[in-house]
Amino acid sequence: MSIEMAPTVKDLLFIMEQVWLSYMDPEGIDPLIPIDDEPVASEIHAWVAITGPWEGNVLVTCSRAQARNVAAAFLAMEVEEVPDEDVADVVGEMANIVGGNVKSMLPPGCALSTPYFVGEGEGPFRSPDAVCVAELVGRWRNELLSIAMWQGRNERVEVAA
Amino acid sequence: MRAIVIDDSRAIRLILRRIVGQAGFEVLEAGDGKQAMEVLAGLDGAPELALIDWNMPNMNGLEFVAAARGDQRLRDMTLVMVTTESEQSQVARALAAGAHEYVIKPFTSDALMEKLALLGLVPSGAQA
Repeated sequence: MSIEMAPTVKDLLFIMEQVWLSYMDPEGIDPLIPIDDEPVASEIHAWVAITGPWEGNVLVTCSRAQARNVAAAFLAMEVEEVPDEDVADVVGEMANIVGGNVKSMLPPGCALSTPYFVGEGEGPFRSPDAVCVAELVGRWRNELLSIAMWQGRNERVEVAA
Repeated sequence: MRAIVIDDSRAIRLILRRIVGQAGFEVLEAGDGKQAMEVLAGLDGAPELALIDWNMPNMNGLEFVAAARGDQRLRDMTLVMVTTESEQSQVARALAAGAHEYVIKPFTSDALMEKLALLGLVPSGAQA
């Protein structure tokens, strides 16, 4: 599959809007606002690998504070109440939801891994020549969040049947 | 009425527990299909409803559906896939394996309740 056939930033935005309306902001009063050209704190990474006719991953990146904000909203808890393992779980689930939805836009036969989550200094196990084909950066509650699709070979991943 | 929520994400289990709990279900949880079969084996009678993720370790949702359909004790349990797997081919696979309904993540509580109403598990128009 060519890079040109991959889902676009517009696709990522549409999916994230659905995530926000479903779990984070049912009233639609506190949306994720897309922005351009601002670097996202690379402290938290969660991703799912896609393998098959299209290979790559869907990666969520944000600051620790933003990951905690997202988890609190997702779980309808106060920020200080959210256990660390639930922060990882929620950010991983966000990658999973985006990954599952973009997979339907890819050629048939692709498979999705379960989510991976790592902190600062680590990242997706992808080949060095992987290419970012779409990235949505959004601002929410004064912090940034990035959702990106990388095309390239995954390493050290387990993919569900 | 009882429901079992089967998902490896604790966050999604919590959200589903809230929704079906508010609809009057007593809610059980399992982190994968294998654990769900163990929970169900310890029950006196099957729950009326199972909400099942697809991609899980140990036993995935499709394998769980097949196992549940093959288990005489679980034959009356309504099986609803709740998953990110959104291709039509995957929906068809799940329904062919014995799932009764299919909900794609992300889902709103209203969308899930509508599906449960269609299945006759909650009154039409019920809200979580």
